[in-house]
Parts: sequence; structure tokens; C-alpha cells
Amino acid sequence: MSGKIDRRNFLKIMGLGGAGTALGGCDLPSTVTLEEGKEEVVSYLMPEEYVIPGVGVWYASTCAQCAAGCGIHGRVREGRVLKLEGNPDSSMNHGKICMMGQSGVQAHYNPDRIKTPMLREGGNLVAVSWEKAVGAIQEKLSAANGDQVAWFTGTLSGHQAALVSNHLEALGSRKHYIHEPINASVWQAVNKDMLGEAMPRLRLDKAQMILSFGADFLGTWISPVHFSGEYAKFRKQKRRGLLVTIEPKMSLTGANSDLWIPAIPGTEGVIALGIAHQLVKNHSKDMSSLPASVQGLINKYDAATTAKIAGIDEKRIQRIAELLVERSPSLVLAGAPVEGQAKGYASVAAVMLLNQLLGNIGQTIESQGSFPFNQLKAKTGGTSDLFSFVETAKNKQLSVVFFYGTNPKFTAPKAMEMDSALNDVPFKVAISMFMDETSMAADVVLPAASYLEDWGTHVAAYQPQQTAISMQQPLMEKLYAETRGFGDIVLDLLKVAKKDVYSAFADYYAYLKNAHAALPAEYKEAGMTDGDAWSAALQKGLVNVATGSMSLPVKPVSFGDPAPADSGGKFAYHFVPSARLGMWDGRHANLPWIQEAPDQITKVVWDSWAEIHPLTAQKLGIKNGSIINVESEHGTAKVQAVLIKAIHPDVIAIPMGQGHEEYGRYAKGRGANPLKLLNPVKEETTGELAMYATRVNASPTSQKEVVVRLGASDTQAGRRFVVTVPVEQYQRTEGA
Amino acid sequence: MAVNKQNHKSSSRLKLLLEKRHIWFAMLSIAAVLAVYPFVVMSSSSSAPEIVPPGGSHNGENVEQPIEFPHNTHVKDNGINCMYCHTYARRSKVAGIPPTSKCMGCHKVIATDKPRIQKLTEYWEQKSPPPWKKVHDVPDFVHFTHEKHLKRFVFDQDFPVENVKEVCAFCHGDVENMTVAHKVKPLNMGWCKTCHINNGGPGDCWACHK
Repeated sequence: MSGKIDRRNFLKIMGLGGAGTALGGCDLPSTVTLEEGKEEVVSYLMPEEYVIPGVGVWYASTCAQCAAGCGIHGRVREGRVLKLEGNPDSSMNHGKICMMGQSGVQAHYNPDRIKTPMLREGGNLVAVSWEKAVGAIQEKLSAANGDQVAWFTGTLSGHQAALVSNHLEALGSRKHYIHEPINASVWQAVNKDMLGEAMPRLRLDKAQMILSFGADFLGTWISPVHFSGEYAKFRKQKRRGLLVTIEPKMSLTGANSDLWIPAIPGTEGVIALGIAHQLVKNHSKDMSSLPASVQGLINKYDAATTAKIAGIDEKRIQRIAELLVERSPSLVLAGAPVEGQAKGYASVAAVMLLNQLLGNIGQTIESQGSFPFNQLKAKTGGTSDLFSFVETAKNKQLSVVFFYGTNPKFTAPKAMEMDSALNDVPFKVAISMFMDETSMAADVVLPAASYLEDWGTHVAAYQPQQTAISMQQPLMEKLYAETRGFGDIVLDLLKVAKKDVYSAFADYYAYLKNAHAALPAEYKEAGMTDGDAWSAALQKGLVNVATGSMSLPVKPVSFGDPAPADSGGKFAYHFVPSARLGMWDGRHANLPWIQEAPDQITKVVWDSWAEIHPLTAQKLGIKNGSIINVESEHGTAKVQAVLIKAIHPDVIAIPMGQGHEEYGRYAKGRGANPLKLLNPVKEETTGELAMYATRVNASPTSQKEVVVRLGASDTQAGRRFVVTVPVEQYQRTEGA
Repeated sequence: MAVNKQNHKSSSRLKLLLEKRHIWFAMLSIAAVLAVYPFVVMSSSSSAPEIVPPGGSHNGENVEQPIEFPHNTHVKDNGINCMYCHTYARRSKVAGIPPTSKCMGCHKVIATDKPRIQKLTEYWEQKSPPPWKKVHDVPDFVHFTHEKHLKRFVFDQDFPVENVKEVCAFCHGDVENMTVAHKVKPLNMGWCKTCHINNGGPGDCWACHK
């Protein structure tokens, strides 16, 4: 068939409308060519024995995209890390990772990485050498009063946490501010008081029913990948586990529930007490061990009172109590909407009280056991340190602050006056991969190596059934020679501050290897040399730790009435700065994959939007796609309205993560930052920022734009892709 | 609406065709004869399916390389097997440019007076491999693997490995008579596909586009 006009070719040419070009399907010279001799193909000088170009090798490490500390495997080919997956040996995530973990390569290869150290000279940050940057830091450190030096970080654990602690100790400072906008701090505080353990182990797999008050354990709560695996076991039990969620705006967990109940943020504690009332009065649960004040609260919230405050049908409350009794053991959880109130502690305590009444403690809530290496434990935080940092800075009690792994200038509400607090700190050092808002305000910026280029150890705050130290090793050479690992940077500081101890270590790698060799003998297989044991730990990606067994003594906790004091004033709607797996607190806004991945509930991509119930929107004259102003006491956000039924009609939600003023080409200038609108309300007991306690109003502008979302239609247009049954029929046949 | 109307029309036409059963009967019997015919002819001639080397040609550009590597001297004059240097071809998707250490294995002693070898030695001493230019390339969305092709055309056929250059030549042309490699086959999708059809290669999109 080489160019000859036979019958078939004749037809083909006719089919092309008489054009003389044939399709490439025949052996004719083609017009499609690729560039020849443009790309370089460079060989190895001397190949490693085990390397085959084109064939990937998988190495174990630890994910650092959030604080959950999942084990990962990275595929490395020709010296480049190309793909990340979960480490099957890790009992944290059993070979699975989430979208944030998957997009770790986009953080690593991001074109906006900081490539050189920078120093503020004449008002501007200019590129300098490491010697000059470190020299400037040491000069300020030696001039500063030791206790006026502080670290401001995200969650730290393992040897990185130990080094930071030791650095502060060497300087005589106790100022370590830890800030995570997405946290479980109030829940942890309640647990500490009630169970003696801030982060108990949750056995979702053993529960017959989970009642979640806004704890988005499949999306953003503590260790989502681990909980997703446990949730699968919970659902696969012989009697399928039942999930009921009560929250202001549907989360990923809410979307997976058998029953989803929208609630006004702040009323969850009352609902929990209403359920407790039912348990005591109708299901003979014993409350005699509780403090009198708590007994009084339980007596107060009968079904009618609860229903009136929470706006939930009495029968629903009775039914949930029935189900909890019927399906034992159960597990009752409290998340961000419950915590984020002025009376957050009381609300969470009321929720945890249900576990106590139902006898879940010791069944689905266990002790993590004692972890033998105290210095390596995770240092977690929430938002209370934002307040203490601002206060200390304004009192001029800070002279040098190191920032790492957190971005308070972006996440602090405007009313907290973080900007002026930062101005009150004379010398700020930012250790960062990207020029985020906080780094832009710094006096020295040190370029951090990515977590795929760095050494480390991680001990996540929440540990699965098998506790482990998770190993982090570089998966490839540094992309930019001038970047340095976080451990190396802190170690260099310690070589000055505590020379006698730390000058023995050439680098952080040597320090870690030494620390591993110093582990007790039971951490190494018999007959292994230190070097072999180290290689084995790196190969597996973790070092299993035997924890001492402990029981959870339940202590009665007294708390006040969690009922919200109505103080909306002229602002009619409750404001929810919602979080989602992916964007997280905004740290992943510079990853295009994350920007492009649709929100799990609204399915919107890229920009910011406000979620409003259609009934509310109708009342306010807002249409789907309207550009609206969401106004709080402290600011206004101009965003697009997205009408969605999966939200309480009294709530307006803006997802957090967008609205960056800096942070690279993909994040900068996109959308609005809902955190800026928040009232600086403190949770009364813990001093955390009450993130769900702000009220807003919304008003339409004259503009309207198309909402960019996947699957924009709510109906199937009669095509029955997904077979559905009406709610009434489901309730008749399936119960609940 | 317009689209709907057309659909309606064509479906009624199909109905009409289906009703004329005798036509279908005739067509089916012709098809059956056509299908059996080549099978009979082939099975009478040989037992193994015959290999049909891809045809086609492409007049590639003259690519200037850092060293004008003489394939002819190595292959034709000295009889070195392609896979001696391109050693990864049988184990990986890429054939691999030989590591500089392999070149130096011989050229520490052989032909050290030639300017090209002296240039190679310079690269070796500076510990930087020569920046060769890529001649044979497929787009990034194409997954081509040397390993599978060698398995199909050499190892599964019990084809003598010492003559592997004849198989390499399917896609790379007459390299033994070239100095630096020169692209002589189109390496585009239609060309690949034709060979896949002729030699029973996979036809699924995802076999190559994955």
C-alpha cells in the first residue's frame, strides 16, 4: 500500500474531502516529526552496579505535607524522584497516601523554591552567601538576651524537635511557639483532664457506631489517612458500622455518613448534653460518678430544651441516643466546629462525656502507652500561641525569632494585629522553601531543602497500634546546591550555642546516625552492626517502638454550660472558615495539582468561594455565581457565591487556604483569606482562637460569573447514572 | 434537535438493512471465506508467524555530536555487538548511552592517538560525560520500551543474539554503515501501529499511552 491508488486509498482520499495527504497509517513519509538533536542525553560517567536507566528504585521516607507523619515510598529514576506512594510497612497508612502526599513532588520541583539565602539590606531582601547570612544571625544572637530568642514553628517531632528544644535551652529561653491552624487542641486539653492522656488511641475499627460532631476524620482531623483505613474496617464489620455526623457544613466525613445533621456551630455541646439526658433518663445510664454541676446540666437539657436551642427535631435526639445504646461500643468525636467557640472546652467535654456514659473508654478509646523517648515526642500546637506571641512581641520581649513550617502572617486574623507584632520583633529569621507572607517579612531568609532532600525522624502525635519512629531520608540530591536541610541549620546553630556537645557531629546525617546507634540493644536485630541496623531502618522507613501498656483512668471533669450566648449583633450569619483535605491551612495553595483538584463537596476548583444554603441565598437576593461581599466586624471578603444544600441555612462558609499575598505564582493573588475576617475571640479555658465564633453578613454585588466546577449539575437529567431512593423510603426500609 | 432528527433517520435506515436478511447472509458467507483464506495459506507455508519488518523511511537531520562517534568502526570493522555498549536495551525501556567508563575500558589503550579519543579522554578526566544529542526520540506521552521489543523479536524467536543488529535496524536503520546515528525511520504513531498490526503487537491505546 505504498502510495498506489487502490480502491481503499481512493476511498480514504475521498473521505478526506479530496485533500492529498494520507493518514499516517500507511508507510508513507510522514509530516509529523520530532526535533532531532535538540535534547541532550547524558550517560553515567561510572554507573552504580544496581542502577538500570529507565528502571525505578523505590526508597522509604516520611511524608511532611501535614503533621500526620505517614510513611512513604518514592520512586527514583536516573537520580530523580518521580512518584510518591504510601509505605506498606507503615502501620500509620498501610501503603496509602492522600492527595497532599501525592503532590509532594510538586512542592519539591516547584519553580518558586528559594534558591539562595537572603538578607534584608536597605529595606530589601538581597541574595547573600550562607556565611554572610549565618554571620548576621550569630551577631544578633550574641547581642540578644538569651530568653528573648524564640522559635515559632509548626508541629515538630523526632530529632528536629529535640534539636530546637536544645537550642532554646542552651540560650536559656523557653519560648517555643507552635502554631497549627488545623488542630485538635481543645479536644486534646479535654482528654488530658478527663483521661490523663491528650492523644488517646481511637479504635474506629472496633466501634459499632461513630457519632462525629464535626470531627472530619476522613479529611482534616489529626491523621486522615490512618483513620480512613480504620474507617474502612469499621464499615466492613459483619454488622456494618453506622456513621452519624453533626456539623455546620458538610465535610468529607459528613458526606460519607448514614445520617448527616446540619447544626449551628456552638450548639453541639447542647446537643451532646441532650443525648446524655436521653441516655440517663430513658436508657438507665449511670451518671452518679459525675460532678453535681454536670448532673445539673444533663437534667437541664431534656429533648424539648435541646431541640429549641439547637434547632433539631426532638425525635432525632431520641433516636441517636437509642442507636448509641443499641450499637455498643460506639465512639463519639468532637472536631473543629465544636472546639472553635468561646465555650469550646465545655462543648468538647460534653461530647466526650457521652463516651464516658456509654462505656466507650477502654473499648474504643485506648491509651497509646508510654513512649520511651521523651525528647522525640511530637510538639503539637494550635492557635493559642498566636495570642501569646503577639502579646510578647508587643511588649518588646522578643529580639530574635526563628520561623519554620508555619505562616502566622497569613493565618492570623487581621484583628490580632500580627503584622505590627512582627514589626516589633527586631530580627526575624525565616527557614523556608518558599517566599510566603512570613518569609517576606523576615530579615534573613534561609533556603530550606525540601523534605525529599532532607534527613529527619518523625514521631507523629497520633500513633497507630504499632508505635514507630518514622525515618526520613533524601530521595535525591538537592536540586539547588545552596539549600540546606532543617536539621543541618539547627545543628549549625547548636555548634555555636553548645559547642562542647555538638561540634562532634559533621552534619545532621552524622548526628542522626549516631542517635540511632545509641538506641537500646532491643532496637537492633541480634548480630547486626550499627551500620547494618541503620541501613535496615532506612530500608524499612521506620523503627518500631515498644510502648509500656497503660490504662485510661477516667476522671470526672466539671465544665460550664456550653450553650452559646447569643451575641450576633447586626451580623446575622455564623461564619465557618472550612478546611479541606488538599488545601489544608493554605500551605498547599502553591501546588497546581491541589488547586486543580475539586473541593470534595462543592466540586469547585482553583478560586475562593462562599457556600450558602439556597434558602438563605434567596432571602439575600444571591444567585449561584453572584459575586458577594462577606462582611464581618473586622473585614470584608469579596468572593463568588456557590449555592449548596449541604450547609446549615444560618451558616456561610469560605474555605481556608486561598487569598495569599505572596507564596509564588500559583498561590499569589488568588481568592480571599477567610481567616482574616475572624473575631479574635479566645476559647475561655484553653486560650485557643475560637475559629467558628465569628458572625458575618452577606450582600450581593451586581457582578455574576460562571462557577467553575466539576459536574456542575445537581440532577442526573433522568439518566439514572446513580440509582437513588427517596429519604422516606430509605428510612422506612433501612432504619436510622 | 437537529442531531436527534439525524439519529432517528439513521436508526430507521439500519432497521431497513436488518430486515433484508438475504443480503446479510451473502455478506457473512463472503466474510467467512475471506477470513479463513489467509489462515490456510499461512499454515501451509510455515508454523511460526512471520516477522514483517517495518517499512517506511525518513530523511533525518545531520545531528552534530560532541564527538563524531563512528558506529561503523565499532560495528562493521570490529564486529562489536550493539548490546555490548547499549547494554540496558534488554532490561529497560531505554537502551542506554554507554557510561563513559565503558568507553574508557578500551580506549585507555586503543587508538589513543586519534583526536576523537583524546577528546573523550578529556571528558573522562574532567569527570563529565559527553553531552550527546538525542537522535531517536518519541514524545513524552509515548511509552516505548526496548525490553519488550527485544523479547518479541530476538529472545522469543530464538534469533541469534550475535545478529541483533538486524533487529535493531528495524527502527534505527543501517547503523553499522553510519558514523553518528541518523534517524531513518519516521517513528510516528501510524508507523508504529502498522508494525504492531503486521506483527501482532498490542493494539490498546494504553499499551503505549500510559
